[in-house]
Amino acid sequence: MNSTSTQFVPSRRMGLCEPMPQVGMWNDYKENNCLHTSLPVLEVDSRFDNQSEDTSHGTVGPSNKYDQEDSKPVDKVMRRLAQNREAARKCRLRKKAYVQQLENSKLRLMQLEQELERARHQGSYIGGGLDTGQLGYSGTTNPGIATFEMEYGHWVEEQNKKIADLRNALYSDIGDVELGMFVDGGMRHYFDLFAMKATAARADVFYLMSGTWKTSAEHFLSWIGGFRPSELLKVLMPHLEPLTEQRRLELSNLRQSCQQAEDALSQGLEKLHQILSETVADGQLGEGNYLPQISAAMEKLEDMVRFVGQADYLRQETLLQISRNLTTRQTARGLLALGEYFQRLRALSSLWASRPRGSA
Amino acid sequence: MQQALSYTNWPPTTTSSVVEVPKLVAENAVVVFARSGCCMCHVVKLLLHGHGVNPTIFDVDEQNEATVTGELSKIIGTGEANTSCMPQFPAVFVGGKLFGGLEEIMAAHISGELVPVLRKARALWL
Repeated sequence: MNSTSTQFVPSRRMGLCEPMPQVGMWNDYKENNCLHTSLPVLEVDSRFDNQSEDTSHGTVGPSNKYDQEDSKPVDKVMRRLAQNREAARKCRLRKKAYVQQLENSKLRLMQLEQELERARHQGSYIGGGLDTGQLGYSGTTNPGIATFEMEYGHWVEEQNKKIADLRNALYSDIGDVELGMFVDGGMRHYFDLFAMKATAARADVFYLMSGTWKTSAEHFLSWIGGFRPSELLKVLMPHLEPLTEQRRLELSNLRQSCQQAEDALSQGLEKLHQILSETVADGQLGEGNYLPQISAAMEKLEDMVRFVGQADYLRQETLLQISRNLTTRQTARGLLALGEYFQRLRALSSLWASRPRGSA
Repeated sequence: MQQALSYTNWPPTTTSSVVEVPKLVAENAVVVFARSGCCMCHVVKLLLHGHGVNPTIFDVDEQNEATVTGELSKIIGTGEANTSCMPQFPAVFVGGKLFGGLEEIMAAHISGELVPVLRKARALWL
C-alpha cells in the first residue's frame, strides 16, 4: 500500500488534495488536512486510518517514496510518526462524535416518522359524520397549528443545544455570573414555549390538549398539556443536593402548594367537562335543531383556553419560585436534570415506537 | 370579624345587588366576583378553601354585569369609563382592595405570599 494508491482522495473534497505534493510532504499535508476538516470526517478518517496504520506498523507502505527520508535524521522521522499518531487519534475522536451525532439524528428521524404517521392517521378520520372540517385534530389544515408544530420542532432542537451547553458550562470552570446567563437562557426558553402554546391554544385548544404534538411518553405523563409541577419538583430535588434543612422544607412546601393548585385546576376542569356536556345535551335531542346548544357550548370552550393558560402559568411560577430559593449552580443543575428528563422521555417514545412487533 | 365564614353565595336581586357591592367589599375579608357557573371561579374557591378561607361569592350575570363592573371600577379607583382597566372576572377582593384574578391568586399561593395577605385581612385565624 504505497502512498500513491492512497491518493484516492475524492476530488470533491475541498479540492485540497488534488494535485498531490511530492510525497515527502505527504505527512505534513495530511496533518493539516486532518486539523481543518469538519464534515466529511468519515472519508478523511478512513484515508488517514489506513495511512496511520501503515505508519504505526512501520510497514513499508510508502517506503519506496521515503527513500530520501532514510538519509534524514531519525528524530525527524520519530517526530513525524508521533504527529501521525496524534492526528489519527484526533480523527478517531471526531469520528466518534460524528457517529454519536448520526445516532441522535436517527432517533430524531424515528420521532418525525412517528409524528407523520400519526398525522396521516388523524387526517383519515376526518369526514365521517358532521362535516365541519374542524373535526378531530385538524392540525394540518389549521395554519395556526401548522405554525406551532414547526416552531415546536425548532424549540426541541434548540432545547437539545441548550442542554448540551448547560452541561458543558456546569462541568467547566466558569463563574456564577456566566453560569447565570445559561440558567436565564434556559428558563426563558421554557417561557417561550408557554407563549407558543398560548397562541396555539387560541388557534385550536383541542389540538393542544390532545398532546399529539408531544411524544407519546411525554403525553402519557402530562397534565393539562404539559408537565405536572409537583412531579417536576420530585424529579429535581435529588439533583439539588446538598440542601440546607430550611431549603429542603421550603421546596417541600412548594411541592405541596403545587399539588393544591393542581388539584384546584383539575377539579375546575372536571366542572367544565360537566358543564360542557350538560350544555350540549340541553333541550331535546333527536329533533335536529341544535344550534342554540352548540352556540352556548362555544362560550364554554373559551374557558378551556384559559385553563391551558393557567396550567402553563402555574408551571412558570413554579420554575421561578424554585430559582428564587436556590443558588445559581443549584438552579443550573435543576434545569439540566429537567431538560435531560424530557430528553429521556422523548428517546423512550422513539424506542417504544420502533420496537419489533411480535408475530401476529 | 367572622363575616368571611357567615355566608357563601349571595344570590343577587337586580336592584339591591349593585347598591350592596361597595358594602360587600368593605365588610368582608374575601369577596369573589365571578360569572355564574364560571369554572375559573370554582378554582379560586377551591384554592381559598384550602387555606381555610370561605370567601363570599357574588354571582355576576348578564343583567347586573355592567353595573357591577362600574361599581368595582369605582372601588378600584380607575375612574368610570376606563375600559382597559375594567376588572376581569373572576375578581378577588381581599381586605377591601382588589387582589386580582386567578393568576394573581395562583402566583401568591405558589410564592407563599397569599397566607400573610389573608391573615392581615383577618380572613385567617392562625
